[in-house]
Amino acid sequence: MATRDITIGIVGSGGDGVVTLGDLIAQVAAQEGLHVIKTEAYGPQIRGGESSCTVRVAADEVFAQGASVDVLVVFGWSDFGRFRGEISVAPDAFVLCEESEERPSGEDLGVVSGVDLVWVPVPFAGIARTSSGTPASKNIVTLGILGELLGLPADTLKRAMSRRFGRKKASVLEGNARAFEAGREFAVSRASTFAKKRLGYTPSTPRLLLSGNEAAAIGALHAGCRFFAGYPITPSSEILHFLAEWMPRAGGAFLQTEDELAAIGAVIGASFSGVKSMTATSGPGLSLMIEMLGLAAMAEVPVVIIDVQRGGPSTGNPTKSEQSDLLQCLFGTHGDAPRVVLACSDVEDCFHATVEAFNISEEFQLPVLVLSDQAVGQRKETIPAEALRHEVRDRLKPTDEDLQNYQRYRETPNGVSPMSVPGMQKGMYQTNGLEHDAQGRPNSLYLTHETMNAKRYRKMWPIRERYHAFRRFGPPKADVGIVCWGSSKGPVQEAVAAATARGETVAAFVPQTLYPFPKRDFEEFQASVGELLIVELSYTAQFYKYLRTFLDLPAGRTHVFKRSGGKDLTGGEVLEAVSKARAATARERVAV
Amino acid sequence: MSTTLDLPAFQPADYKSDLKPVWCAGCGDFGALASLHRAMARLQLEPWNTVVISGIGCSSRLPGYVSTFGFNGVHGRALTLASGVKVARPELNVIAVGGDGDGIAIGGNHLLHAARRNLDIAYFMMDNEIYGLTKGQAAPTTPTGDKTKSTYWGNPEPSVDPCELAIAFGATWVGRGFSGDPKTLVDLMTAAMQHRGFAFLNVMSPCVTWRGDEQFKMLKAKLAFLPPDHDPTDRTAALRYTRETDVLTTGVLYGVRQPSLCERIDEIRVKARHAGVVSTTAEILAALSPPI
Repeated sequence: MATRDITIGIVGSGGDGVVTLGDLIAQVAAQEGLHVIKTEAYGPQIRGGESSCTVRVAADEVFAQGASVDVLVVFGWSDFGRFRGEISVAPDAFVLCEESEERPSGEDLGVVSGVDLVWVPVPFAGIARTSSGTPASKNIVTLGILGELLGLPADTLKRAMSRRFGRKKASVLEGNARAFEAGREFAVSRASTFAKKRLGYTPSTPRLLLSGNEAAAIGALHAGCRFFAGYPITPSSEILHFLAEWMPRAGGAFLQTEDELAAIGAVIGASFSGVKSMTATSGPGLSLMIEMLGLAAMAEVPVVIIDVQRGGPSTGNPTKSEQSDLLQCLFGTHGDAPRVVLACSDVEDCFHATVEAFNISEEFQLPVLVLSDQAVGQRKETIPAEALRHEVRDRLKPTDEDLQNYQRYRETPNGVSPMSVPGMQKGMYQTNGLEHDAQGRPNSLYLTHETMNAKRYRKMWPIRERYHAFRRFGPPKADVGIVCWGSSKGPVQEAVAAATARGETVAAFVPQTLYPFPKRDFEEFQASVGELLIVELSYTAQFYKYLRTFLDLPAGRTHVFKRSGGKDLTGGEVLEAVSKARAATARERVAV
Repeated sequence: MSTTLDLPAFQPADYKSDLKPVWCAGCGDFGALASLHRAMARLQLEPWNTVVISGIGCSSRLPGYVSTFGFNGVHGRALTLASGVKVARPELNVIAVGGDGDGIAIGGNHLLHAARRNLDIAYFMMDNEIYGLTKGQAAPTTPTGDKTKSTYWGNPEPSVDPCELAIAFGATWVGRGFSGDPKTLVDLMTAAMQHRGFAFLNVMSPCVTWRGDEQFKMLKAKLAFLPPDHDPTDRTAALRYTRETDVLTTGVLYGVRQPSLCERIDEIRVKARHAGVVSTTAEILAALSPPI
C-alpha cells in the first residue's frame, strides 16, 4: 500500500551531511512535481553539533511541515536527545538507526506504546566504509535507501548528486556513486517492509524549490529594488547572501554595512536618491533600525524592511521561530510614525508580500515592514514557477507643472506629494527629520505639525481601501473561527482541513496586511463564526492585544491559543485548541 | 567630483538658499558655510546634481542653507545616508556635514567605516569642541579639565583629535581648516571635493555662545600652516600634525589615491556582468534552478 504524504526526519551531528541529504531528496521530489516542505534545526554551534532536517514529500498540496515524522533516520541517538520535545514521531514510524548503537525505547521517542514502530537497524557507517572507503558517505548511503523507499527515480537522484558534488575529486564522486548503490541494495533487501511507505504519485511538471528568504530576495529584484544594504543576522542572512550575488547581476548595488543603523540609513539615502531600496534583518537588528524607521516616515522616503523573526527578547533564540516582533513593527519608534506592516505566511507569500511592500512604499512614500519568521524564511517549499508574478508599481514623480514651483511636501487629497530626485533641475529641496513645511524647511509651529501629521496619516485611508489582503479558509459559516497571522497559516489550514474531514465546521481568517488591519473583512468573518480562536506564537499574545486595540472581540466567545516560539506550530496543536474552544464554558474562557 | 565648465558660471550666491541660518551671531559655522558656497562655485557643481547631507547639531542645519538637494537626517547618521545616496547614484556630488559630537561621538562608528571603505564623498566636520544645540555639554573633542554644563568639576576625559582618527581609520584625504581663515578653508574644501575617495576635513569652528570669545582668540593665536615641504602622501608625517597643543596646523595633512568604494563596486558589476546579466524574474529563476 502506497502513501501520498510522507514526512522524513533526519538527525545527526555536523559532518553527517544531514542537510545535504535532505536537500537532495527535496530537489529530486520537486523535479518530480511533488509538493515538498523542508525545514532544518540546529544547535547553537557554529560548526558541528547536532542538526536535524525534516522533509515532507506529498503528492497533493500541503500547507505545513508534517506534524510527526513517518520515517526517522538517526545517525546518533545523543544528537536526537538534543532535540527532545521538538521532533514528534508517528506511532507507526519507520526508525532507521545506526545498527551499532544501542537503541532507545519507543517511550524515549515520545511514542507511548511503541508497538507499531518499525525498527530498521542500518549499519550506515559500515555500508559507507565498505562501499566507498569512508564512513563520511553515510548520508549518500541513506540517500540510496530513502530514494528506494520513497520510490524516487535513481537516475535523477544521481544527477542531483553529481551536480551537488560536481567540483569534488573524481575518487570522491566514484565513492559516492558506490555508496548510493549500496544504499539502494540495502533498501531492496528490505523491500517488503519498505513497501508500506512507498510514495504513490505520477510525475508532473517540475516545481520550484525555494526558501522564504530566497523568495523575498527574488521579490525585491522583481519589484525593481536596485539597492540593498544589510548586516548579517540569523535567520535573515540568506536574503543578504542571495542579493550579494544577484543584485550586481541585476545591475544594482549591494552594501554590507557596519551595523543595522547604517543599513537602514543607507537604504533611506539610496531611496531618497530615487532607487528602490531594501534592508532585511531580524528582531535585534530591527530594534536598532527603529529610530530611522521614524526618519523614513517623517521625511516620507519609501523603504522596505524585512524582519525575519526569531525568538526574543534580546539575543533570544536566534535559530528558532517566534511571532513576537509584532508590536515593535506596529508601534515601534517615537512619535506618530505612519507605516504599513505586511505578513508572509508561506514561501510564495514571501515573494508577493515583498513586491507588495515595494508597491505600497513607493506609491505612498512611507516605510513598509514585511514580517516573516524563521519558520517561513528558512524553510524550503515547492511552488509552481508561474506563481512568481506580481504587478509592479512606481513612485509618483513630479510633472513639469509640479516643478514650476516645486513643493516636496505639498498638501494633496491623499497625502502623497510628487517626489523629485537629485538630478531634477527644478526639483531641488531639502528634506528633514525635523518637522517641516510644504517645502521641507524646518518648522516647529504647532499648526504645521498638526497639518503635516494629518497629511502623513491621510495616506493610510487609500491604503486601507486598496490593500486589505487576507485569506479565508473553511465553510462560509462555522462554529469556530480561527484568526492567526504569518507562519501560523499553514498549521491552521491543515487543522481546518482535518476538522472539515471530521465533519466539524471550522473557518480561518489570516490577514496579510497587518497594518492597516482589514477591519471590515474581519468583522464580516467574525459575524460568520461562533467561537473565535486567536492562534499565535507569542508568550504575551501580542496579536490578541493588537486586535483588542481597535476591535470589540465577542465577550465570552473569544479564546486564545498562545505559546512561546522555539518549536513550530502544528496542525495537531491547533485542532486541540479548536476542541477546547468548542468545549469551553463561559467560566473557562481565556483572558490574557 | 564632476564639474561642468561650459554652462554659465555659478556664483557663490547661487548656492545660497533663502533660509536665514539659526546660528548665533559670531558662530564659526557662518565662515564654513560661506566657504562652502565659494568652493562649490569654484568647482561649478551643478546644484541639482549635488546632495548635502547632515545629522543633528548646530552645524547639521547647514544643508538648509545651501541651494542644492539636502537631507538633514538624524543624530550621528549623516554618513549612513550619504553612503546610500552615493552608492546608489555614484554620479552625484555628495557632501556630508556635521559637528564633532555628531561625527565622533554618536556617529563615530560610521566615520570609521566610511573612511575604511573609502566612500567617495567629502565630509566637512565643524568642530567647536562642545555640544552647542543641546546647550553646552562636553564633546569627545572638549579638552581635558574644561568646565562645561556636563563637566561641572572639569572634564575628566581625554579628548581626541578627529584628524588623527580619520587617518587611523583609513581616510585617503585628511585636512584641517579654521573657519576664521576662509581663504585657506575654501582651498581645502575645494580640494576635498575634488578628491576621489573619502575626504575628511576638520573645520575648527568656534562656538561663541558656549566657549565664549576665548575659543576664537585662542584658535586664531595658534593658527599655523604646514611647511611647504610637507609630503601629504607620508602618513607618519601627517600624524605629526595631530594632537597638537600649542599650535593649530591647517592644510592638507594627508592625501593619497586609492580605489574608492564606488570604483570597487563598479568592478564587482563588471564581474557580475560576465556571470550573466539578469533583468527579469524568469531569467533569475532559470539561472537559479536549471532542471536536474
